[in-house]
Amino acid sequence: MKEDSLVCLPGQRLSICDKIYTSGQGTYERKGYIYSMLGGVVDIVEKNGLKVLEVHSNGQNTVIPSQGDIVTAEVYIITQQHAKCHIKCIGNTVLKSSFRAIIRKEYVRVTEKDKVEIYKSFRPGDIILARVLPITEAHSYQLSTAENELGVVIAHSEHGYPMIPVSWTEMQCPKTLVKEPRKVAKVVPENMTTDILSVLQNNV
Amino acid sequence: MPVDHKRINGPEESVPYELFARLSGLTSEKAFEQLYKAGKRSDGREFEEHRKIFLKNGAVSQAKGSAYIEMGQTKVIVSVFDPREIPNRSDYSLKGELYCEFKFAPFSCAKRRLHQQDNEEKQYSCIMKKALESAVCLHELPNFQVDIYALVMHNDGSALSAAITAAGVALVEAGVPMYDIITSVTVGIQQGVKLVDPDSLEEQMCQVQFLSEKYQDNNHGLLIISKLHTQEQLCQFYQNGYVSLEVLKSGLEVLSKTCEVIVPLVQKCLIKHITNGIKS
Amino acid sequence: MAEQYKSLHPAKYYRDHLKHDIRPDGRELSDFRPVVINVGSIKTADGSSIVKIGNTTVVCGIKAEISRPKADAATKGFLVPNVELSPVCSSKFKPGPPSDQAQVLTQIIADIVGNSQCINLEELCIFPDKIAWCLYADLICIDYDGSLIDACALALISCLKVVSLPEVSYDPSLDKQQVNLEKRTPINVNSVFVSTTFAIFDDKLILADPTVEEENLCTGTLTIVTCNDELCYVHKPGGSPLVDEQMSDCIEKCMNRSNSIKKLIKTAILENI
Repeated sequence: MKEDSLVCLPGQRLSICDKIYTSGQGTYERKGYIYSMLGGVVDIVEKNGLKVLEVHSNGQNTVIPSQGDIVTAEVYIITQQHAKCHIKCIGNTVLKSSFRAIIRKEYVRVTEKDKVEIYKSFRPGDIILARVLPITEAHSYQLSTAENELGVVIAHSEHGYPMIPVSWTEMQCPKTLVKEPRKVAKVVPENMTTDILSVLQNNV
Repeated sequence: MPVDHKRINGPEESVPYELFARLSGLTSEKAFEQLYKAGKRSDGREFEEHRKIFLKNGAVSQAKGSAYIEMGQTKVIVSVFDPREIPNRSDYSLKGELYCEFKFAPFSCAKRRLHQQDNEEKQYSCIMKKALESAVCLHELPNFQVDIYALVMHNDGSALSAAITAAGVALVEAGVPMYDIITSVTVGIQQGVKLVDPDSLEEQMCQVQFLSEKYQDNNHGLLIISKLHTQEQLCQFYQNGYVSLEVLKSGLEVLSKTCEVIVPLVQKCLIKHITNGIKS
Repeated sequence: MAEQYKSLHPAKYYRDHLKHDIRPDGRELSDFRPVVINVGSIKTADGSSIVKIGNTTVVCGIKAEISRPKADAATKGFLVPNVELSPVCSSKFKPGPPSDQAQVLTQIIADIVGNSQCINLEELCIFPDKIAWCLYADLICIDYDGSLIDACALALISCLKVVSLPEVSYDPSLDKQQVNLEKRTPINVNSVFVSTTFAIFDDKLILADPTVEEENLCTGTLTIVTCNDELCYVHKPGGSPLVDEQMSDCIEKCMNRSNSIKKLIKTAILENI
């Protein structure tokens, strides 16, 4: 962050709310003014001729998953119908405590949805990338890996070695050369998170 | 008392040793008389002067946000944790919830406190929750609960106010969306005298009605308010004892003024935290 | 980036650091965290102390009450230690009755006190079979970052060192007691115990004074308590086995540390007075 950034506290009046300035993330609008909702730094983002005021707290943002977010999660239980996992990161933000989420059979991949078998897609302990679906249930988040870039990024073989992807449905153990089925993510380097994960995989 | 199997229990009965001490003879009425004559309080403060405050955020490394506050001898620590899904709930709620727990350490008061939460602590937890609920943007945290825990290590009066002010700081540090900065102040009233930020003896003095004839005015009690700074809104008000409407009005004025005195301290503490965050 | 790596792959994150004989917080394997002791800051207690080992913080307060000795131990007073893992200290603990971990800790601390004989309970008796002191020692953890037994033991012993009790005179013929609040005397503490915790990582590496992350990842822990250059309590709850050499190495480290800790307690008490 820059040295000359503008620091603000909750409840601080930032600007008048008019045709140019609107309230964005971390701010709220009351009686025609924009106020800050967090303690942090003010950002002005230009969007379609509008200036959106945003406030970002330094890394300590309290984030909760919302629809459309890409999350990193760890699978911990699989059943025939679904896989349960813990969300560990949202985008680039690491969570201090994880959220529970579920991936239903229908949302594992794009094609041949009816032939999906959970145990051929995920195993407990796998690290996956997934997208958050709209919330329909009160209790847990629903995730989807039905995109090429989403799916398993880190997995260990039965013997505990980190595996290398060989196709989009299989990963191979470098020690035993045993192939195991997975819904593998196609790692795209532009994405910050996936970039790190690919580095991770090489390290392992 | 039922036996607590999960702790080590002492003897079946034990009593504070102060009960067997020679009485010092200083009753609340006498203490008030001394105070009134001197025109100053026992620690040298004016009647409407707040004690010095030491406020520090980030006292607990494991918490998302935390604050430690010292007001005179009163020492309170508050932790705030990551939002989590509301346990034991089946329906979806659009608004988030707060969970507050206010606890006195067993050794924090003149008389030993028990480990279980007693009625007074329950009541304080409720007041704290109500005060903070109006400061947190609950609509930003749908279906989530934020846990706030306050522990009083040393109670020398105005512990609830200290806890609310500290909780405000801890919430901002935790990055929980808030409408405003929240501060809280206590005032004790006895015979028309208003003692801002009373210590534990003064608190005691303000909670009894004087019976001797020379005291005709029977106004006595405690007032606690919490205020949102920029919006100038009163978000919590608590009163006990007997206070007439006029005294209440003037009491509220004093309280509002004192809240404004505390706000710069809170701001300074938070700005320091944010600028430190930017540098690193 | 490192943060994400740590969150997703904690064990490997640690292994990478430990390969270079360094821990993520910058310590070497056998380094201890700095210790801070403060005594007597809580005036409502008859004795109090605050101990910080790195981030781990424990507050101890002792409150004395008057009670009647038990029939089977007519000449003994009471010392009642209780450890509380308050929800303030970590998101792991929720309000309510003590967790299993808190109960285990309480028992360990009670055992250490019993083994070390640091307090002669007979000295806490005022008049046999009639009245005796009961010292309630409450240990509250306010920041949980590992090595909690060490912090609790240290807080308790420094607290006991500063406890003072008012003079009590008892008249057996009238069965009446009188307390003189003006005259207070400290209690005798016969010995000072010092506890040191080690974590065993991947069955072979031994980390001294582990943080909570290290405790969660390790394959076993070992706590050694020394008192007057002798062992007074050893706690090794399962986990990786250790060879005799490693064990004696740990004991030696603990002995060395106990001297510096004892000095620290002394200075803390002197500063307070």
